[in-house]
Amino acid sequence: MHFRKLIFRRIIEVMAIFFLILTGLFLLFHLSPGDPVSRMVQPGMSAEDASMLISQLGLDQPLWLQYLYYVKNFFTGNFGISFHYGQPVIHIIGRRLPNTILLFTTSVILSAAAGVFWGKLVAWYKGRPIDTWVTILALVCHTLFLPWIALLFIWIFAYHVGWFPLNGMITPEVWIDPSTGFLAKAADIGHHMLLPLLTLFIIHVGSYLLIMRSSMLETLKEDYILTARAKGLSEKRVRNRHAAPNAYLPVVTSIGLSLAFSINGGALTETVFSWPGIGRELIFAVSNNDYPLALACFLFISLVVLVANVIVDVLYAYLDPRIRY
Amino acid sequence: MNFSAETRAAGNTAAAKRSYNLQRFLDGWALFYENPVGKLGVFLLVCFGAMALISYIPPLIDPMYHPMTGVDPSISNATGPSAKHWLGTDNLGRDLFTQLLTGARIAFMVGISAAFMSIVFGTLIGMIAGYAGRVTDAALMRFADMIMVMPSLLVVLLLASLFGQLNIWIIVLLIALFRWPGVSRVIRSQTLSLKQRPFIDMARVAGASHMRIIFRHILPNVLPMACLYMTFRVTSAIIVEAALAFLGFGDPNTVSWGMMLQWVWKTGHMFQAPYWLLPPGICISLITLSFYLIGRAMEEVLDPRLRKEENF
Amino acid sequence: MRFFPKLFVSSLIFMAAAMVLLWPPASGYAAESTLRVGIAEEPRTLNVWMATDANSNKILSLIYQPLYTEHPETLELTPWLAKAMPEWDADTNTYTMELREAKWSDGSPVTAEDVVFTVNTIKSFKVPKYHSEWAFVEKAEAVDKQTVRFYLEEPRATFLTRSLINYVMPKKQWAPIVKQAKEKEKPLGALLNARLEKPLGCGPFVLERWQEGNFVYLTKNPHFFGRGQTIQGHQLGPYVDAVLFKVYGTADVAILSLKKGDIDFLWWSVQPGYLEDLEENRNIRVMINEKSALYYMGFNVRKKPFSDPALRRAAAVIIDRDFIVKRVLQGHGARMDSIVPSENRFWCAPNMPEYGRGLNREERIKKAWKMLAEAGYSWKQPPVDENGGVVSPSTIVRPDGNQMEKFTILTPPADYDPNRATCGILIQEWLKELGIPASARPMSFGALLETVKKNHDFDAFILGYGRLALDPDYLRSFFHSDNDKPGGWNMSGYDNPEFDKLAEASIAEMDTKKRRKLLYQMQEMIMEDVPYIPLYNPAAIEAVDTRTFSGWVPMVEGIGNIWSFCSVRPQ
Repeated sequence: MHFRKLIFRRIIEVMAIFFLILTGLFLLFHLSPGDPVSRMVQPGMSAEDASMLISQLGLDQPLWLQYLYYVKNFFTGNFGISFHYGQPVIHIIGRRLPNTILLFTTSVILSAAAGVFWGKLVAWYKGRPIDTWVTILALVCHTLFLPWIALLFIWIFAYHVGWFPLNGMITPEVWIDPSTGFLAKAADIGHHMLLPLLTLFIIHVGSYLLIMRSSMLETLKEDYILTARAKGLSEKRVRNRHAAPNAYLPVVTSIGLSLAFSINGGALTETVFSWPGIGRELIFAVSNNDYPLALACFLFISLVVLVANVIVDVLYAYLDPRIRY
Repeated sequence: MNFSAETRAAGNTAAAKRSYNLQRFLDGWALFYENPVGKLGVFLLVCFGAMALISYIPPLIDPMYHPMTGVDPSISNATGPSAKHWLGTDNLGRDLFTQLLTGARIAFMVGISAAFMSIVFGTLIGMIAGYAGRVTDAALMRFADMIMVMPSLLVVLLLASLFGQLNIWIIVLLIALFRWPGVSRVIRSQTLSLKQRPFIDMARVAGASHMRIIFRHILPNVLPMACLYMTFRVTSAIIVEAALAFLGFGDPNTVSWGMMLQWVWKTGHMFQAPYWLLPPGICISLITLSFYLIGRAMEEVLDPRLRKEENF
Repeated sequence: MRFFPKLFVSSLIFMAAAMVLLWPPASGYAAESTLRVGIAEEPRTLNVWMATDANSNKILSLIYQPLYTEHPETLELTPWLAKAMPEWDADTNTYTMELREAKWSDGSPVTAEDVVFTVNTIKSFKVPKYHSEWAFVEKAEAVDKQTVRFYLEEPRATFLTRSLINYVMPKKQWAPIVKQAKEKEKPLGALLNARLEKPLGCGPFVLERWQEGNFVYLTKNPHFFGRGQTIQGHQLGPYVDAVLFKVYGTADVAILSLKKGDIDFLWWSVQPGYLEDLEENRNIRVMINEKSALYYMGFNVRKKPFSDPALRRAAAVIIDRDFIVKRVLQGHGARMDSIVPSENRFWCAPNMPEYGRGLNREERIKKAWKMLAEAGYSWKQPPVDENGGVVSPSTIVRPDGNQMEKFTILTPPADYDPNRATCGILIQEWLKELGIPASARPMSFGALLETVKKNHDFDAFILGYGRLALDPDYLRSFFHSDNDKPGGWNMSGYDNPEFDKLAEASIAEMDTKKRRKLLYQMQEMIMEDVPYIPLYNPAAIEAVDTRTFSGWVPMVEGIGNIWSFCSVRPQ
C-alpha cells in the first residue's frame, strides 16, 4: 500500500541522514586540532587501560579502518568510557535518555495540541479583539528568552509561591521510603515535571498557534467552505469538520521542522531545572571536555529528533488523504 | 504581442528601469508602514539601534563606565539603581546600564553578521540547487536536510569545544553554518519557478552562461525573499549567541546580554538583584520580537496573499 | 468557554485530583533525625581507590576512617583509629602504633591485618591516588592483632602528615576483589572499577542507598568505634540517625532549598553574592572559615620572555591582589604573599616581598615601569610620560630589541570557576596598562590541565589548589627541577639547583623546627623569582539551618568535617 511504502521510504531516508551525521562527526573529531586519541582516551589513564581502550576502539588503525570500528562500535553500543564518570558511556546514556524522551515528547504533544486548538479558534474569530490579543500574546511568548523565563518561573512559582519543587526529577524523601508505591512515585515525577513542562509549553505554543492560524485563514478562503456554509451547516461543524482538517497539514510539517529547535530548548530547560536528561548531560560533557560522552549524547539527541521527524511524517501521511490513496 | 514587464523594462533605458524598481520599493514601504505590526517592529528596532550607538558615549564621559573593566572606585558589590548608575552595578562595581547598551551593539553585530552569512550561503546553495536540478539538487537538499535536523545550539556547542575557540567571530560563523538550510529551501523553490519563465530562455538563447543567468537574472528576483528570511535568521542568531553565553561558552571579552545573564546567575545574584536579572532578558526578548514583527510585516508586503482583507 | 473546552478542563481537574490524592506526605519517610546535606555534583564513584573528586570524598569520609586525623583547632595529628601517637625507632627506621578497639559495620573487628592489607594493595597495584605517599615505605607488618609497624626505606618527614591520614580498608571485603583483579588483563582497572553494593566501613555512617544522579542515603553505623567516646575533648555520637546527601545542579537552587527548609547544611562554597541574602535570613547561619588553598598565576619559565624574572616581578607588582580580594571575592578571602597560605600560621614564612601592596593604580604602574626600564625594556610610548603622568603605552619592547608578541593566559571556564575566569580578564587589562600584550582565554578544565601539565605548551595560566595539605611539602613538588617532566607537578619549568638542594634537605629533615627554617628559605627563593604569582586564598563559606541541627565544629576548610558529623545534634 502506498502508505506503507511511503513510511518505509522515509525511514530509509532518515537512516541515511543519521549515517551522514555519524560520519560527519567522525570527520570532525579527526580534523579538529589536537590529538584525536586523547579525545577518546582520557589523558592520565594508566598505560594499560589506555592501550586496552585504544585497541577496543581501533584508534591505532589507519583512518578508514578506524571509521569501520567507529560504526561497528556504535551499533554494538560501545562508545568508550566517560572521562568524568569513569563508567561506560552507554550506561550513562541509558539512564538519561528516558528522562529526556519523557519531557520532550510530553511538551511537544501538549504545545502542539494546544497551539493547534487555539489557533483554529483564533482564526475563526479573525479581526475581532480576541484575535489581536491572542496573536500578540503568542508572538511575545514565542520570543521570550527561554533560560531567563525558566529562572523567573523557579523564583516565582517554586520559591515564593512554593507550589513546585525547586529542581530535579524526584524528591529523595519519597524514594527512600520503602512503603511508597509506584503511583506515588509517578506522581512525584509528574510534580517535578510540571514547571519545566510549563516553560517549554509557553515558549512553543505561540509558534504552533500562529502557524495554525495562518493555515486556517488560507483554508477558510477555499470554495468548499462557502459550499458548506451554503448548505446550512452550523459554524462549529464547518470549522471543525471542514476547515480544520485541511489546515492541520502545514502545521504538522512545521512541527517536524521545528523539532530541532525544540530540543535546543529542551537542553536549556534541563540545565536550568536540573532535569537529569541527555541534553543537560551533553552540556556538562562539553564543559568537561568529556568527548566520548559528548559525542554519544549528541548522536542520541540527533536520533531522537530523527525518530520524532519520522513520526511526524507518518502523522502527516495519515492526515493527508491525497497521500494515502 | 504581449511583452512581460521585464522585457519592457529591459528594452527601456537604464534610468527608466531604476525608477521602476524605486517605485516598487516605495510601494512596498508604504504597505509595510501601514501595518501596525511593521510600525511597532521598526520602532523597537530604532530604539535598540539608538542604544547601540549611544553605547560608545559613556566610557568617554568617565572611565568607570567601561562595561568590561570600568569599576566604580567607591562601590565594590552589586547595588541597585542610583543617580550615578541608572541600572545599578554588578558585583565587581561595573555599571549595568553601560553593559546593557554594549549588549545592544553586540546583538546587532552578531545577529546581522550571522544572518547575512547564512543568507549568502543559503541563497547560493538554493539557487544552484534550483538551477542545476537533478543530482546536484537532490544532493544539496539532502545535505540541507541533514543540517536542519541537527539542533543548532548543541552543534555549535560541540564544535566550540572541539576547536577550543571562543572568539565571537568564530561563534558567528558557526551559527551561520547551521542556519542556512531554511533559506535555501525557499530560494530553491523560487528558483525552480523562475527557471520556467520566458526571460530565462531568452537569455540562454542569447548565449548567456549559466553563471551569468544565475547572478544577473535569478538573483535580483530572489533577493527580496532572501532579505525577508534574513530577518528571521537574525532572531535565531541572537538567541543562539545569548544561549551560548548564558551557558558559559561565549566569548569572555564581549559583554553581551547572554553574558550578563550568565554573570548574574553564576555569581549568585539571580534572586537578589532584579535590576540585574530583568533588563538583559527583556532586551533579548524585545529585540527578537522586533525583528520578528518586521519579518512578518515584510512577509505581507512580499506575499500579496497575506495582506489584510476586508472579509473572506 | 470556547477556549477551554470541557475535555481540556476536565482532564486538568483529573490530573490535579490524582496528584493531591496520591501525594506522598510532605516529610516522607525519614529516620527519626535525618541530616540533609546539599552538594554540588553527585559523587563520581564510591570506590576509595578511584575517588579523586571532592564530592566522592565527602561521602567516603563518613564511611571509611584513617589511623590519624587532624585536630579541629590546632590541626595537629590526632590519633583516631590508632590509640596514640606513633613510636619512632631511629635505628630500625620504623614507626609502631597500637589500634583502638574498633569494629567494621558488620561487627567484625578492625585488626592490624586490615592496615597491612591496605598498604600492600596500594603498593602492589601502584594505586595512583596513594602510591606516592607509600612508595618509600618498605613494608607494613602486623606485630600482633592490634599493633602495626611500618618500615621506611629512608627518613621521610611527610609520613606522619600525609601517609597516616589515609583510610584503612577492610581486608575481608576487598581481598576477594583484589584476587580477582590480579587475574585480569588490566588489574588496576578492575580494582578501580569495582563497585560495592554495601561497602564495609568503620565510620559513623554506612551506605544505605545511592540513587544515581539524585541522592545518597547513609544510615548510622551501630558499630562506630567513636560512639560514646570522648576524643580530644569532643564527645562523639553520631547523634543523627541518617545523612541524606541531595545533589543539586546549580548553587542558587541549593540556596533556595536551604532557605525553604529542604536541606539543613549546604556543603558547598557559597558565592559571596549570596551572603547578604543569607545573612538576612534569621534561620540561617553562615559559617565562614579559612581555607588552605592557593589560587595563582603561573608562567612558562622555560619560554622567553617569561624566563626573565624582572618581567615576572613587574607582573606581580601590577596585579592588584587587594582588588581581587575586595571585589571578586567580595572581601571573603585573603591576599597571598607566599605560596603557603598565611592561614597556615606555622609554615608560612614572614616578611615576604611586598610587590605593590597598598599602592594605588598609578603608583603601581610607575613602580612596574621603573622595574622594567631598569631591566632593559623599552617602549615607543612608555606608560609614564615626561611629566610623570600615566598614559596608554605602546607595545613593550624586549631587551633584545624585538616587540613582545601577544601571549595568552589560560584560565578555567567561567561556569567552572567564575573567580579565576574574571581574574584572567582583570590581569589581562592590568598587563596591557604596561604595554604587555596579554589576552585571557578560558579553556575547558581538562584540556587546560593537559596543555599545561603534559604538553608544556603554554605562556601563562591561572590555576588553583582548593585544598592544599597543611604540610607544605608541595613546594618541593611544584618547584623541584626533577618534577619538570610531562605530567609532573612542576608545570612552570622552574629550575634552580640551590632550591633543589634545599628541597631535598627539607624532605629528609625529621626535626620540625629545622625543617621549618628550610621551608622558610624555600619560600623566600620562590617569591624572589616568582615563577608563580600567588593571587588569593578564598574563605570557605557554608551555610546551615539553625532550627534543625546544632553542634557544628568549625575547622580549616569549613564545617564539613568528621568532628561535625559526629557531634551535630537535632534541636
